[in-house]
Amino acid sequence: MSVNTSSLALETARYMRPASEVMHLARMGSSHPTRLSFLRVLLRRLASSEWQIDRPLWNVDATGVGHGVYRVKSAERTYSLVAFAHDLPPEMRSDRVIATAWDATFTLFDGDPTDEDIARLAENVPVQEAGRISPSELTLARANRSVRLFEHVVTALSQGRQPDVAEIAAVGYLMRTTAVYGSGKFGASDRADIAERPELAAPFQVEMLTVWLIRAFTVDIVEHIAAAKGGDTAVKLDRDIRRSLGVGNSTGLGMAPFIVRHPVLLNNWMMAREEALARVRAQPTAQPLAISDLNAALAAAVTNAEVWHSEHPVQVRKLHDLRRDLALLSATLNTWDWNAAHPWDALWIWGTQTLTFEGQEALLSLVLEPHGALVDDLADHMGADEAASFRINGAMPVVELRRILETDYAWALAIDFTTPENVARFWYVSEEKLEPRLGERATEDGATLEQPLCIARLISELHATARSFDGTQSVAALMLAHPEHRFAVRRVQIKKHHPYAEVQDNLIAADMLPIDLLRCKLAFFGASQFDPRSDRWVRINLFAGAPFPDDIKAGGAT
Amino acid sequence: MSIESQDQTRGDSTPFFSDTQPASLSCNEAASLCMKAARGADMSWGMAEEAGFAAAWLVSHGIDGPSHLRAHLERVDGRDWADLCPTVTPDGWHNANGQPACPIILGATMCDYAALPEGPKTGTTIALGPVSAPILLVPFLAELAQSNALAFKLAWDGGAICIDIDETWRETALASVGVPQLSLTLSAKAAESHKPFAGSTPNAQTTAATIAALNTFAKRTTVPATEASRASAGSTLSDND
Repeated sequence: MSVNTSSLALETARYMRPASEVMHLARMGSSHPTRLSFLRVLLRRLASSEWQIDRPLWNVDATGVGHGVYRVKSAERTYSLVAFAHDLPPEMRSDRVIATAWDATFTLFDGDPTDEDIARLAENVPVQEAGRISPSELTLARANRSVRLFEHVVTALSQGRQPDVAEIAAVGYLMRTTAVYGSGKFGASDRADIAERPELAAPFQVEMLTVWLIRAFTVDIVEHIAAAKGGDTAVKLDRDIRRSLGVGNSTGLGMAPFIVRHPVLLNNWMMAREEALARVRAQPTAQPLAISDLNAALAAAVTNAEVWHSEHPVQVRKLHDLRRDLALLSATLNTWDWNAAHPWDALWIWGTQTLTFEGQEALLSLVLEPHGALVDDLADHMGADEAASFRINGAMPVVELRRILETDYAWALAIDFTTPENVARFWYVSEEKLEPRLGERATEDGATLEQPLCIARLISELHATARSFDGTQSVAALMLAHPEHRFAVRRVQIKKHHPYAEVQDNLIAADMLPIDLLRCKLAFFGASQFDPRSDRWVRINLFAGAPFPDDIKAGGAT
Repeated sequence: MSIESQDQTRGDSTPFFSDTQPASLSCNEAASLCMKAARGADMSWGMAEEAGFAAAWLVSHGIDGPSHLRAHLERVDGRDWADLCPTVTPDGWHNANGQPACPIILGATMCDYAALPEGPKTGTTIALGPVSAPILLVPFLAELAQSNALAFKLAWDGGAICIDIDETWRETALASVGVPQLSLTLSAKAAESHKPFAGSTPNAQTTAATIAALNTFAKRTTVPATEASRASAGSTLSDND
C-alpha cells in the first residue's frame, strides 16, 4: 500500500520535502530513528493490545548452556521465541556472516512449539545456515556476547552488587545479534503468508519481535549464570540499569543493497516519514503538552548523543555536529516564540537554516515525538505489496518513458559515467561466501559480473537507447528489441508512482559510503548509536531504554 | 528430508539437500535461486526477475517450477536472444528462426503487450508455435487472466487447458503441459473479474539435483574471492570485545 499524494490534505502537501531534497546519501546517512521506526511500531502494539508475555520453558544448566522459550500470546495468535544458549570458545567469536558458531541462536516459532518441534529446532537452529527451518518458523537469528560487559555483569551480580553504570553505558548491550533472517530464508514462512495479520502488517515486525525477546533472554541468561556462580549471594540486575540495555547488532554490506532492491518499500518508508513531518509543520499552533514533550525528547536525545561514541572518523565528525546542533537547539527553544503562527514550521525552517544534516534529521525525529495522535497512523502505510508494481506497462509510448527519464531521473542523467571516479566501484556477489561486496573497478577483477545496483548508470544507458528508438513505439516493442533494459524500465515505471523510490546518488562513485545506506535502513528499524567499524560495517543498538516484557504488563510502554 | 552439513559460512540461504528425497523451498528461496540461475544462463536481470516470478508462482500453486526452469535452462544454455524471443505479428508469435520460444520471454512479452492491439484479448487466437517448458508460461497467463478479466485456452495437438477463474487446471496441468515442448495456440475470451485464488495449496517440493543444477547456473553470476575482497568485507576492528 502506498501513501498517495492525492490523498493528502493540500495544506499538508505544501510542507512535504521533495525527493530531490530527501533522497541523497549525505542526508539519508544522517537518519535518526523516529516514532514511526519499526521497533516503536511493535512496542506500541504490544502495549496497546491484549498480549500476554511469559517464559513457559527455561532449561539452562549452571554453565549457561540449554534452551528457553519466550511466548507472546493474544486471543488469536501465539508467537514463541525458542532460544538456544551455547558455550562458545572465544577464538570462534566472529560477527561476520562467515562465522560457524555463536553464543546463542534463536528462532521465532509461529504458535506454541511442542517437544517434537523443539527437538527438531535443536538440531537445526544452532547450526544456522547449515540447518533448515520450516513454514512454522518466522525468523532465524544468532547473537554473540559483548565479552567485556557480559563478564562484568555476571561477576558483579554473582558477588551481590550491581555492575558499574559507566561500563554499561560504554557498551550498551549484553549481546549483539549478527543476523536476523526472515521472509522465507532457510525454509521459514514466506512474508506473503503472514503479511495480512494486523500485528505483522508493518515492515520487519517478526524480526523486531525476535530481537525484543532476545533482549529479555540476554538479561535472563546473565542473571542465571550469576545465580549459579554466586548462589545466595547473587542479585538480580537493577531495573533501571536493565532498561538502559539494548541488543547490539552488527551488520555489513549485505544490508546495503536492500533499500536499492526494494524501491516501493523504500518509497513507502520515506513517504510516511515525510508526511509525518509535513503534518507537524502544518499545525497552526502548538499545544503546551506537545511543547513539554518536545523538551523531554530533546533531553533524551542530548543524553543519547553523550553516550553515543564511535572511533570512525566520519562518525566522529557527525557526532560532533550532532552535539553542537542539539546544544544550539536547546538554547533556541529556551526563547522560542510558540505563539507565532505555525510555530512548528518556523522551528523547522530555523533548523534547515542553522543546523547540519545531523541536526536537521534529529530535529525531524524530535518534532514527531510529541505528535503520536497526529502521525502514528502512517505506520499502517509503510508495508508494500511489491508484486502489485512488478508488471511492466508495455503500452506506455517510448516518448513518455523518455519524458519520465528526463524529469524524474535528471539527477542520474547529469552524472558523467565516462570519468574513472564516477565508475570507481562495482557491486558484486562473492563466489566464496555469496555475500554482496564492493570492488574497485581499476584494480579488481569481476566487473563484468556487476550487480544491477548502480541505478543511475542503468538509467543513463536506458536513456541512450530510448533516445534513438522511435518514440511512437511502445515500451513493449522496446523491451523486445532491448531486453537488457528490462530491469531499468521496471524501475522507471515504479518511480512514476513512487516519488521517494530512488536514492538519487551515484552508488559506484569513488567517494560513495555504503554506511550511509546502512544508517538509513537501520534508523527505520529504530536503531540508535550507529557506530561504523569501517566504511562498510557497523554496530548499532536496538531497544535501549525500551520496556521489558514485565514492564509492558506494568504499563511502562512508550 | 535430509540435509548434508556443508560449509555453512556462506552468506546465502541456499539449502544443502543431498539425496533423492524431496527438498522444500520457500517461495522467496525459489524466486531468488531461479532469478540468479536465469541470470547465470544469460537472461538480462529484468528477464531473470520474470523467471524468478514464474518459478515461485508455480511453487506456491503446488508445482515444482524450479525443476521445469532448470530443464529449460539446460536445453537453451548458450542460445542467443534471437533464437529465444517471439516475433510479434498479427499472424502469430513464432520465433523468427524457427526455434522453440523461451516460456519466460514469451510470457513476459505477452504481459507487456496485454493492452496493445497485438496482445491477447477477447476473441483473439494467437499461434505461438513451439514453446519450451510450456508450464512456465502458465503463471504469466494466470496473472493476465486475473488482471484483465480474461479466460485463456492453451491448445496443442491432442489437448488443451483452460486458465481462468476456476483453477481446476492445476490438477491436469502437470500431466499435460509439464513436458519439454509443445506447439501451442492461445485463445482468449472475456471472463468474470476475480481475485487471486486464496487457497492453501502447500508449496511444491523440488529436488536436490534441481537445486544443485540451478546453483551451478547461479554461480556464474558470482566473483571468485581475492585477498583484497576478503580483507575489505568485514570490520577493521576485533569482534571479540
